[in-house]
Amino acid sequence: MKNTYQNNGAKKFIKVSLFFFIIYLCFFYLNIDFERFFSALGRFGALIVNRYYPVDIHYVFETGYLKSILNSVQMGYLGLIIGVIVASLLSYFAAANITPSKKIAYPIAKFLIIFARSIHETIWTILFVTIVGFGMLAGVMALTMYCIGFFGKLFSEELENVNMKLVETVRSNGANEMQVFAFGVWPQVKTAFTGILIYTWDVCFRASTIIGFFGAGGMGWYLKRNVLQLEYARTSAIIVSIIILVIFSETLSAYMRNKIQKETQ
Amino acid sequence: MKTFALDVETYSQQNFTKIIKKFLFYISLVVIIFLSVYFIIILDTDWHRIGSGDSILKQLSYFVGLDLSLVQYLIIPTFETFLMACLGTMLGLFLSLPVAWLGARNVTPFGMLSFGFARFLMTISRSVHEIIWALIFVGAVGLGALPGILALAFRSVGFISKIISETIEGADKKPIEAIRAAGGSGFDVMYYGIIPQILPTVIGTIIFEWDINIRRSAIMGLVGAGGLGLAFFRQMQMSNYPGVTTVIMFIFILIIIGEIFSHFLRKKIH
Repeated sequence: MKNTYQNNGAKKFIKVSLFFFIIYLCFFYLNIDFERFFSALGRFGALIVNRYYPVDIHYVFETGYLKSILNSVQMGYLGLIIGVIVASLLSYFAAANITPSKKIAYPIAKFLIIFARSIHETIWTILFVTIVGFGMLAGVMALTMYCIGFFGKLFSEELENVNMKLVETVRSNGANEMQVFAFGVWPQVKTAFTGILIYTWDVCFRASTIIGFFGAGGMGWYLKRNVLQLEYARTSAIIVSIIILVIFSETLSAYMRNKIQKETQ
Repeated sequence: MKTFALDVETYSQQNFTKIIKKFLFYISLVVIIFLSVYFIIILDTDWHRIGSGDSILKQLSYFVGLDLSLVQYLIIPTFETFLMACLGTMLGLFLSLPVAWLGARNVTPFGMLSFGFARFLMTISRSVHEIIWALIFVGAVGLGALPGILALAFRSVGFISKIISETIEGADKKPIEAIRAAGGSGFDVMYYGIIPQILPTVIGTIIFEWDINIRRSAIMGLVGAGGLGLAFFRQMQMSNYPGVTTVIMFIFILIIIGEIFSHFLRKKIH
């Protein structure tokens, strides 16, 4: 009894030491200085206190910056609308149980959604900026791709979970594809659609605050400018304002989703 | 009868105001769309720069094709990106354990004070975008893979610790009481009572976050941390557009592999 217990302990010890050895190898491979790693938190704190700390809060209330906040919101809104319209169509084809053609449309739609999701929104921004130039059009396009990926994944999963018995009932009464969707599928996913829509808006706004950093307009552009000019006080003010806006939008979206869920119950 | 008629009347009146309200809501949404299109797309865009449809197609055609000579230089950054995501998630888990402990209502040591502090940390971690975290850490510890790992870890803390603390709050109280009644210390309660209960959820969350972190680590190079993002940035600066497509293909393949892997791991747990 005692022997097995000790044996177990030895095995555990070997496992833990192997784990740490692998981490050490990773650090060695990535050429990371251990001294730098362990002093990182101290350096981070020192950086915050020395450079970022006196927040230049007046900068946030200048008209140019306030206008850029409005631009970010509008950019996120437009990207959301276009993205959700495209993504709803795509996810109709990308849901395995209700797709009209399983051989052709299903893999294409699924691939498009996965591809839009795999590439990060900042990379989309850079690509669109090279194609259509600096400005908010590129931002709207990038956010559209982001929404297609995000909304498409969530909504197609929701469509795959509908109760097929109700759908079959509608179909067996002689409804065509449009009617099957309108009376069999849509009533089941209506609440989920609204919930995902609001959630996507929240995430999309969060993305829209940052994509300006790579050439689309909005708050990100001000962030980039102040980072390049080493204006730490203004940078920290912008970061604080982004945090406050994101918290506000998060609270709003959580409140609205709760309300919708309560209304339908 | 009279009361009934009154009820119908008030009902239809309420219905009417509801419809009006809904109508106004949708109208305002559409008006905002038009305003946004006007200010964002029509006024702000440099239409001269875009030119006609032909010039857009010409721009797009630069991206067609792969630069295969680049492949041998991309394998190491791909591996670096992958390692960065793994180490970032691991460090994020270590950092989020104390935050989750403070942020769970039933085990938090100093009541409202520590609970509020932990919730504050979680919100900050989730609201700051990974690019901003990377910027701050590049300033703090210099270029290389280390700021990427730290940025990913700090970004992951919010999500992981929120899920863990919610799981701790929902954990079954009976085993905890039993251990406490048998004379177990606070550590014993944690180690034998809570951790076995929350372990499956924690592992599922970590796999999920790891999957997202691969996606995030691919862009860390844009602001000075290493990996595929740096390769992307370089190809973009050199205007080597087929090379850009190649890097994006590498990112895509890496993410697909990660997604398949995490799918199977999550299935194994359930």
